[in-house]
Amino acid sequence: MVRLITHNLLACHAKNCTSNNFPLQFKDIEIELREAEFNPDFIRGFLPKLEWKALIDAAKQLGDTSLPSEQPEMIDDEFLKNLHHVLLEIHIEEGAMICPNCQHVYPISNGIPNMLLAEHEIG
Amino acid sequence: MCIHLYHHTLPHCYRCQSYLFCTFMAPPKAVTATSIDTSDPQTYEDQHVHSVYDQIAPHFSSTRYKPWPIIAQFLSSIPTGWIGLDSGTGNGKYLPLPLDRPGSIWTIGLDRSRNLLSIAQNAGGVAREVIWGDVLDNPWRHGVFDYAISIATIHHLATPVRRKAAVKSLLKSIDPSHGRALIYVWAIEQDTLSKRAVPTGEDDNGTDGQDVFVPWVLASQTSKTNSKQEHTEETDKPKESQVFNRYYHMFTRGELRSLVENAARDIGLHIGKEVSGARGVEIIQDGWERSNYYVEIRRWSTE
Ligand SMILES: [Zn+2]
Repeated sequence: MVRLITHNLLACHAKNCTSNNFPLQFKDIEIELREAEFNPDFIRGFLPKLEWKALIDAAKQLGDTSLPSEQPEMIDDEFLKNLHHVLLEIHIEEGAMICPNCQHVYPISNGIPNMLLAEHEIG
Repeated sequence: MCIHLYHHTLPHCYRCQSYLFCTFMAPPKAVTATSIDTSDPQTYEDQHVHSVYDQIAPHFSSTRYKPWPIIAQFLSSIPTGWIGLDSGTGNGKYLPLPLDRPGSIWTIGLDRSRNLLSIAQNAGGVAREVIWGDVLDNPWRHGVFDYAISIATIHHLATPVRRKAAVKSLLKSIDPSHGRALIYVWAIEQDTLSKRAVPTGEDDNGTDGQDVFVPWVLASQTSKTNSKQEHTEETDKPKESQVFNRYYHMFTRGELRSLVENAARDIGLHIGKEVSGARGVEIIQDGWERSNYYVEIRRWSTE
């Protein structure tokens, strides 16, 4: 699957592409919403790892505006639930992710992103 | 790797509870020594590892398994809220762990075999995050994972340089100040039952390990198990056996530990306990379990 939890970790790794290579931009995507079990302790623990702006921008692109543009100081249950939904319940099934720097295309098919590079693209 | 030739009608090996990685049931002569053409290891691995797994993938189930103790313990010790990488996830059997705290940590699976990933993406009946990628690459924000595991994977890489590159990649994927990792590879020192199956001989790769082929037989059988994902056609008719030889590098004692230490040194890490003003990696434990060697490490930074 590509959910935003994973999208927030992925970066372009093509040869010589080391800056402005995150976050990858979605293109021509199909999404599916699927419920996932809510685990507030996980979400709370994972928060410091998140690149917040990348997450907000990606969520907007997928039509979800439930999260504040700045990470809030006060973490309440409603916020955690919204974050859970954005991170774990929106599945990108088809489409592609494009590197903002080198324009490399990483296709997504049946929910699986293809991060393989051709031999000449490997750094 | 279950190298027993005849148990493919069972859901898993009854000795080691593994679908893939049984090392108890190897019949004599199952394993043959091989030497590899190192001029093009990538193509070699495509042929003798990735393509084999793609073809035998439907024989593996992902719903029942009993993980090896060291791996289960490692994943049980990971704090809630951590995110990890399973580099070479195969059918994703470690993605649901720890079973007593489901969803408390997230392990993302990476593999080179697209067909295995189709199974892994639903490991344990829950939607998982999986990536089609190469264990030598680093398609992440560097150091973004809190932990990583590499189980029965690095032994499929055909040269010492590539095995070291895989370890370097793993070290780079985890957090420089607290990242933890567990690496698990096949040992030349096998469990007593399978000892005789392992050929002995000089290795020409500059290490003491042994390069071997391990056959997987996709045999004629009538499927008695629930075979939704097993045979797509002719399930009731016998068909010709097909033998797929998978390439393995069997590690010798101490080889994995020095591989990890050399990889760490190559990327400028101090080996051992914390010292001031440095970045390093500490070996938490290393040992042998059920025909495999493992090394557990922790990264630290005092910079
Ligand atoms: Zn790029």
